[in-house]
Amino acid sequence: MANITKKVSWSSRGDESGAAGEETPLLNGSEQSRPLRQMSSGSTVFQIGRLSTVDLDEEITTEEQDSARGRPKEIPHNEKLLSLKFESLDYDNIENQLFLEEERRMSFMAFRCLEISRWVICGLIGFLTGLIACFIDIAVEQLAGLKYKLIKENIVKFTEAGGLSISLLLWVALNSFCVMWGSIIVAFIEPIAAGSGIPQIKCFLNGVKVPRVVRLKTLVVKVVGVIFSVVGGLAVGKEGPMIHSGAVLAAGVSQGRSTSLKKDFKIFEYFRRDTEKRDFVSAGAAAGVSAAFGAPVGGVLFSLEEGASFWNQMLTWRIFFASMISTFTLNFFLSIYHNKPGELSNPGLINFGRFESEAMEYNLYEIPLFIAMGAIGGGLGAFFNFLNYWLTIFRIRYVHRPCLQVMEAMLVAAVTATVAFIMIYFSTDCQPLGPDHTEEYPLQLFCADGEYNSMATTFFNTPERSVRSLFHNPTGTYNSLTLGLFTLTYFFLACWTYGLAVSAGVFIPSLLIGAAWGRLCGILLASTTSTASMWADPGKYALIGAAAQLGGIVRMTLSLTVIMVEATGNVTYGLPIMLVLMTAKIVGDYFQEGLYDLHIKLGSVPFLHWEAPATSHWLTAREVMSSPVTCLNRIEKVGTIVDTLSNTSTNHNGFPVVVQVSGDDEPAKLCGLILRSQLIVLLKHKVFVELARSRLTQRKLQLKDFRDAYPRFPPIQSIHVSQDERECMMDLTEFMNPTPYTVPQDTSLPRVFKLFRALGLRHLVVVDDDNRVVGLVTRKDLARYHVGKHGLEELHLAQT
Amino acid sequence: MSLHRYELGFLLIILNIYSLGLIDAVNVTASDSAANPLQAPSYQSHGSSAVVSSPVYKPAVDSSYSINLLSSFPEDVEISEYCSEMLRLFGQRYVAYVNCLIPAARPVRVCQNCSPEYKSLSDVFLNISSDQMGPGNVSCRDSILRSDRLMLVFLLYGNLATIWEKSNCKQCVTTDFKGPNNDTLYYLTLLNQTITCFEKYKEGNHTELCKNCIPTYKDLNDMYSGMEKNSTLCIDLEDSMNMTRKLWSKNFGCSYPHGETIPVIAVSSFMLFLPIIFYLSSFLHSEQKKRKLIHPKRAKSHNSLMNIQDKQS
Repeated sequence: MANITKKVSWSSRGDESGAAGEETPLLNGSEQSRPLRQMSSGSTVFQIGRLSTVDLDEEITTEEQDSARGRPKEIPHNEKLLSLKFESLDYDNIENQLFLEEERRMSFMAFRCLEISRWVICGLIGFLTGLIACFIDIAVEQLAGLKYKLIKENIVKFTEAGGLSISLLLWVALNSFCVMWGSIIVAFIEPIAAGSGIPQIKCFLNGVKVPRVVRLKTLVVKVVGVIFSVVGGLAVGKEGPMIHSGAVLAAGVSQGRSTSLKKDFKIFEYFRRDTEKRDFVSAGAAAGVSAAFGAPVGGVLFSLEEGASFWNQMLTWRIFFASMISTFTLNFFLSIYHNKPGELSNPGLINFGRFESEAMEYNLYEIPLFIAMGAIGGGLGAFFNFLNYWLTIFRIRYVHRPCLQVMEAMLVAAVTATVAFIMIYFSTDCQPLGPDHTEEYPLQLFCADGEYNSMATTFFNTPERSVRSLFHNPTGTYNSLTLGLFTLTYFFLACWTYGLAVSAGVFIPSLLIGAAWGRLCGILLASTTSTASMWADPGKYALIGAAAQLGGIVRMTLSLTVIMVEATGNVTYGLPIMLVLMTAKIVGDYFQEGLYDLHIKLGSVPFLHWEAPATSHWLTAREVMSSPVTCLNRIEKVGTIVDTLSNTSTNHNGFPVVVQVSGDDEPAKLCGLILRSQLIVLLKHKVFVELARSRLTQRKLQLKDFRDAYPRFPPIQSIHVSQDERECMMDLTEFMNPTPYTVPQDTSLPRVFKLFRALGLRHLVVVDDDNRVVGLVTRKDLARYHVGKHGLEELHLAQT
Repeated sequence: MSLHRYELGFLLIILNIYSLGLIDAVNVTASDSAANPLQAPSYQSHGSSAVVSSPVYKPAVDSSYSINLLSSFPEDVEISEYCSEMLRLFGQRYVAYVNCLIPAARPVRVCQNCSPEYKSLSDVFLNISSDQMGPGNVSCRDSILRSDRLMLVFLLYGNLATIWEKSNCKQCVTTDFKGPNNDTLYYLTLLNQTITCFEKYKEGNHTELCKNCIPTYKDLNDMYSGMEKNSTLCIDLEDSMNMTRKLWSKNFGCSYPHGETIPVIAVSSFMLFLPIIFYLSSFLHSEQKKRKLIHPKRAKSHNSLMNIQDKQS
């Protein structure tokens, strides 16, 4: 007994090797490659190489195949691949005997306590997300303030004395310096923290286990990274990362422990399952949206739109609770920061300000105009995505070394500063200083005394502030040339920036581009008619333009509408914003997918959409499934199990348990399904039939033992099984899922798809008439079908 | 609604009155009663009495008569002697302040010229509005400020108080409002120096002016910026500074020259050139990342893409 419990203390060791081993990739492409085959010498390295392929579901490259077809074909990275490194999450509850036992033992009170602790966790998620948002906001404001002050003083000095090129160099150096740190921590420490994080969270909620996406380290890198990249003056926002941060927090808080810090608080142990975790992650994402935009309802709808497979009213209500708490917390702490403690009307990281003046009212005749702007936004968004798509492919293929990625990010920062400086330097648009300084850092440069450079308010500012000044500055603050030039340059800068190895969101840059050309539209409209009052305020058109551009790029629908409406705080804008987003989506979808979907595709993620591809009814489970399947007997020899698990070429994750494997290829009757993770825990605890007989006092394995190992199950190599033990037998009856979902061979693809998607399955066993296993359907089998230009196409599986 | 009823009820009479050219008076009464339904009955009775006594409104009646329409109320409702004295004082000082303000509107001198007037006006108002009992144990606050819907005195004072607030004059005058404070005085001296300098070199070449006046102008500008930071500015100073800056930059064209553009262009084109080098070199020298394709295990008879194409064709 003592012997066994001592041996059980493997988990931390497994973690380390696991953490070192998972050299994996992020969605938007920058990743470290490690040719797997070359690694097979040296035990630790071997382990590392192995681990990244553990995620294989049921796909095999056998040596025979390799030799038969020569070396595996190598192709450049493209969008039509599915990576093997992604596995599914186990949303389906394993109703084995242990589970039933535990349920029997739990009292009514225990269930009530669980319900209460769910609420407590949601409250905590909201609170902590709000705190993080607050931290990011204050840090960015302080650091950016410092930077702009420094540069402004320098510029003022050199405007007088001549030699502004020094100021330019200073600006470039400061930007590159900040971005360098932001990029180094992302590229070298946690590549998954790059980008906005929304595609990753989308995948997670879809049921794909993206490696390391919800770890504490990711959170830290994300938060610090976003501060650096915003302070570094890149064309990025801090809103997308907020959503990722919220999700990571939720995943961490709900588990009551941190495996990275090796600290277990011994609370919330019941929630250490994928099903529960997913619910909390959706709450975290909602809290993130809510903190970012001050839009609690928008946050809930975002979770609903992106991740809803299993929704019930209680969960929605809890998520709403988390969102509200998050906004409230942010408000509260920002009110303290702004020296108005208790004043709770400061919602959101990006505050669009209030659109309440009479000039902001709109009229029926403006609706067609808004729709036309939506169409422009859709077109521009598609163009943006198109450019970014090719850029990302180039980055995946050629700019994949971390040091190159850091250099690229620094270059972008330098060019951004340079372009901004040139624009400001050559701009002749001078505006008088307003009575209430809406401009934080007015630059005079060559303007007359008492006036400031109008271009500088757009470039020489954090993007959030620029958006706000475009929305709210009175008519005549910008002339149309300034806006046109700004739109043009910022469009390309933002497009170039997204996908760098820095933690950064695309929301704010999109809003900024849209607001600039929207305002331009407003000004042009006003100049066409003699009565400018008819078209009222250009700020209104800036808002519509911003919505159109954002909708054209990200293609979110319901949640984005609500987020925009909530962020402007004016419900009457609901209709135009909805119409604009609809048009933008329709027009954009005609040309190109949304940015997030594009990056999911480029990340080779087996993402399941809402529906099976159209025109796929003729495909049956027989063609979709993988076959033959590696099965295990109900009472299996330990040696066989170890061999099966450690076979490098077949990194299966689920094994149908059959009554008795008969001959070679003859299928056997199905009686259950067992997961790799379960087998590993069983091996670790040495739950062998012989041992159980000899040692009567042996502690019975409980569900808790499985939960303790979750979510980082050790690789099979870390488990030592002696020669004697290999001869023992293992009884899987108690631990396997005795009632796995099955389908007959002739089930059509859409039917399989629906079952898979709606129930959040990981393995679906295909059986014949006699309930004998003939195949296994996994996520990758389904995700590989998609409708392309030439009808139904199939994606290739590839090692990445 | 009451309006309609009213008008319908007295349609005949209105027609009657129309001929007398008094339609305006009745209309006002009617709309008032509509706006204040609560007061409607009293108004109505008043109105009807007016209408009933419409024969009184003879064309012959002159306008002075309508002002003294009401005979004076009994003693206890009338305002006290003290309060009417206060009211008179208020009127005097009000007129004095407004008279001072208007000539000081352009260029703005409201703080320098009119602060004492505002002081005395606000003193009276404070007296009126305080709840301290005056002689005869009466408080004028209720009788003057709050007795009617219009609250004329309050409204009038409110307007001027807003002007005072907006002009921010408080920052520029001494605490007893008697005259400009030290900062302002110093600023004004600087301003005068600058203006004298401008006057001196105004003729002829402006470059001379720019060169010679820059010390004083700079002092003035710095002083102004400092005051702006402490927010000790008032409208007088702001306006004078605005005018001076306009003179300086627009009329004399003394703002900074565009400087040497060549270094800026050189540095920035170097910066813009860097990414091109970077991408070219990484395209040429970095090895392209390849993906290994994996052949999935499938049931033998059915295989992938070919199968699809077969079935579709």
